[in-house]
Amino acid sequence: MLNKVAIVEVAQISGPDSKDNFYDQAYWVTKEVLDKAGLKREELGTVVSTASDVFHGGISCANAYYWESVGAFLKNGTRQDGESIFALYYAAMRILSGHYETALAVALCKGSENPENDTITQFFADPFYQRPVGLNETTAAALQMRQYMDRYGISEEQCAKVAVKNLGNALRNPNAHRKGRYTVDDILDSKRLVDPLTELQCAPKSEGMVAVLLASEDKARELTGKPVWFKGYGCSLDAFFVGDRDLLRGQLRHASAMAYKMAGISEPRREIDLAEISEPYAFQELMWCEHLGFCGEGEGGKLIDSMATQIDGDMPVNPSGGLLANNPYVSRGLQRVLEAVLQIRGQAGERQVDKKVNTALAHGTHGFAGQCHAVVILGS
Amino acid sequence: MGRAVAIIGVGQSKHGKRMDVCYPDLVREAVVAVFEDSGLTPDDIDGVVSGTMPSMMEGVAMTHFYFAEAMQAVGKPILKTETCGSTGVSTAQTAYYWVSSGMADVVLAVGHEKMNEGDSQATMTTVMEPFYQKYFLSGAPGVFSMQSQGWSVRFNIPEEKVREAAAVISVNHHDSAFDNPYAHVKVRLTVDDVKNAKVITYPIRLYDVCPNSDGACAVIFASEEMAKKLCKKPAWVKGVGYRGEEQFFGDSDKAVWPSAVGAAKEAYEQAGITNPRKELDVAEVYNPFTYQEMLFYECFGFCDFGEAPDLVLKGVFSRDGELPCDPSGGVLCTNPIGATGLIRVAEAAMQVTDKAGARQIPGAKMALAHAMGGIDQFNGVLILGSEL
Repeated sequence: MLNKVAIVEVAQISGPDSKDNFYDQAYWVTKEVLDKAGLKREELGTVVSTASDVFHGGISCANAYYWESVGAFLKNGTRQDGESIFALYYAAMRILSGHYETALAVALCKGSENPENDTITQFFADPFYQRPVGLNETTAAALQMRQYMDRYGISEEQCAKVAVKNLGNALRNPNAHRKGRYTVDDILDSKRLVDPLTELQCAPKSEGMVAVLLASEDKARELTGKPVWFKGYGCSLDAFFVGDRDLLRGQLRHASAMAYKMAGISEPRREIDLAEISEPYAFQELMWCEHLGFCGEGEGGKLIDSMATQIDGDMPVNPSGGLLANNPYVSRGLQRVLEAVLQIRGQAGERQVDKKVNTALAHGTHGFAGQCHAVVILGS
Repeated sequence: MGRAVAIIGVGQSKHGKRMDVCYPDLVREAVVAVFEDSGLTPDDIDGVVSGTMPSMMEGVAMTHFYFAEAMQAVGKPILKTETCGSTGVSTAQTAYYWVSSGMADVVLAVGHEKMNEGDSQATMTTVMEPFYQKYFLSGAPGVFSMQSQGWSVRFNIPEEKVREAAAVISVNHHDSAFDNPYAHVKVRLTVDDVKNAKVITYPIRLYDVCPNSDGACAVIFASEEMAKKLCKKPAWVKGVGYRGEEQFFGDSDKAVWPSAVGAAKEAYEQAGITNPRKELDVAEVYNPFTYQEMLFYECFGFCDFGEAPDLVLKGVFSRDGELPCDPSGGVLCTNPIGATGLIRVAEAAMQVTDKAGARQIPGAKMALAHAMGGIDQFNGVLILGSEL
């Protein structure tokens, strides 16, 4: 990288629902992150927002709706759709290009006003072949889960343990939507949505307004004593038709390899202290851990059995509760970034892990069975 | 500033009512064309930017999934840029920043829309804020009619003069479309045809309005080092500007339009342009409505406010005029919205690299490309030049 980019401050408004309207939430989260950094709106360089037309309560051209609410009035700004980690990357690019010293990446999703997630995700499918057979994010994930269990001998209990862990972690997270002390049986006995997935293994539909302020190296040191550095990024898109892909060997290995290379990481399990992973379905956390190199192929079940990914383990995964606890669709990737930043800065409150976090990984995914993955490495 | 960036290849589909191809194949047509034009292969591409209008347009959400193969994006990093009508220029600017930042050397930008698969005006009605504005601002023509009326009243331009100038613009662009093999609407018109066409939203008549087009456009951006290695005649990005305004129509000035003025000013400053009418050789202005095009001339500093109709009638912005605007026929003849802004960029790149065929402005060295979007909210400008 030509220069360094840091995250200066973060803010979020998340949970199941809120009495505040979209404009108010977008405004307050933007104001909070700017106030924390002591930056006036007029001083802010550029705004890269993420929101999705289809996850936007029936309003098209999402950016047209909230432009001034996120501080972008008469500024150079832009918008990403689908994955909010894209906005973080694009904001970093705008700073690295030398055009701006500060950039706001903001992700907006008011899940409470949206239809059910899968009412929307079915529109990812083409209208001719995949949509008529009922493919959506959950049915695609169920196909993937069945294959995963069959090929590697992973059990439903091992998958359910992810939900036990994450919903338990969420008890410490005041922003979580779904939380509780559950047993493996509770998870498996919850309503079977799409076999073999049960309700508590599927992420809910949540609200999430997430703001992340980035700055160039010099500006970051001026604005905060605790900059969190943007160390690496990787992203990879898979083929469209679910039947064309090996669902167990997707693009996450490739995306993470790019990010590790940029960050100079050769042994991820040893060099990464904590991971916030997007797991819209419980078993995916096990699979993604394999693809991120935290364990060998097919060893995701053993990894959860080993307790290593617990909040007090040697490789904590989703101490926030992850997506199973809070799932504002397009905002969820940037929310993982926010959680990783809080952990690195020691500001994660009750969900702060015991050990020192120097290097953290944040991951986002969207699309059927992980058609697209984005990985960010952050460091102290 | 960061690294210098150049355009080293452009590709367009044939635009129009393309019932002969499905949506991914329409995208593929432009992507195949850009690889033919640049001589590159998909292996040379470090990242892909995809841009489109909202999902309601064609009923498929997050089309970067659907077009993964068509865009040759499998196994590559992707960004999905959407800013309404200005999407095409925002997509180009995303590719620009990606390369300029040093995070990629060669980036493919793709814009696409298949408007004949859906109902564009119904879609645009869902862009309005749903509680107060949706009920009186349905569709695009209503918004732009109000804007043009406000502008002509503000500057005391007689209605007849505006009408005459708009008709001249329409005739010129429709003539130019015959020189553009990719253009959609090709019809010979007289000034009287335009003036007597049926009213869409007063004062806008049929030939003052762009069509619904199916089309795709692909443009390859590269770093200075790669551009010099891979391309004999690159088009250099000299300036990038963008500004956005608030949602509520009526809260701000749409005649001396701050986002249009600001976006152009930002791009001019980077390109070192102080007298745009003199220093630009050609402009691809985003002109879905004839009236609005004149407003852009003024906001971009091509002339003073209130002066555009007179200069149009004098031929200043005609093909053989001082600053030819939209020699491609422009948006007025071809509008696949998610691709439209990127087509402006592609056409500008072709002009400064002497590749524009029958619509070439001889000797063009500096060009402006522009797109506009939202409820009259967003404007983006790129300046391209033949020299680094």
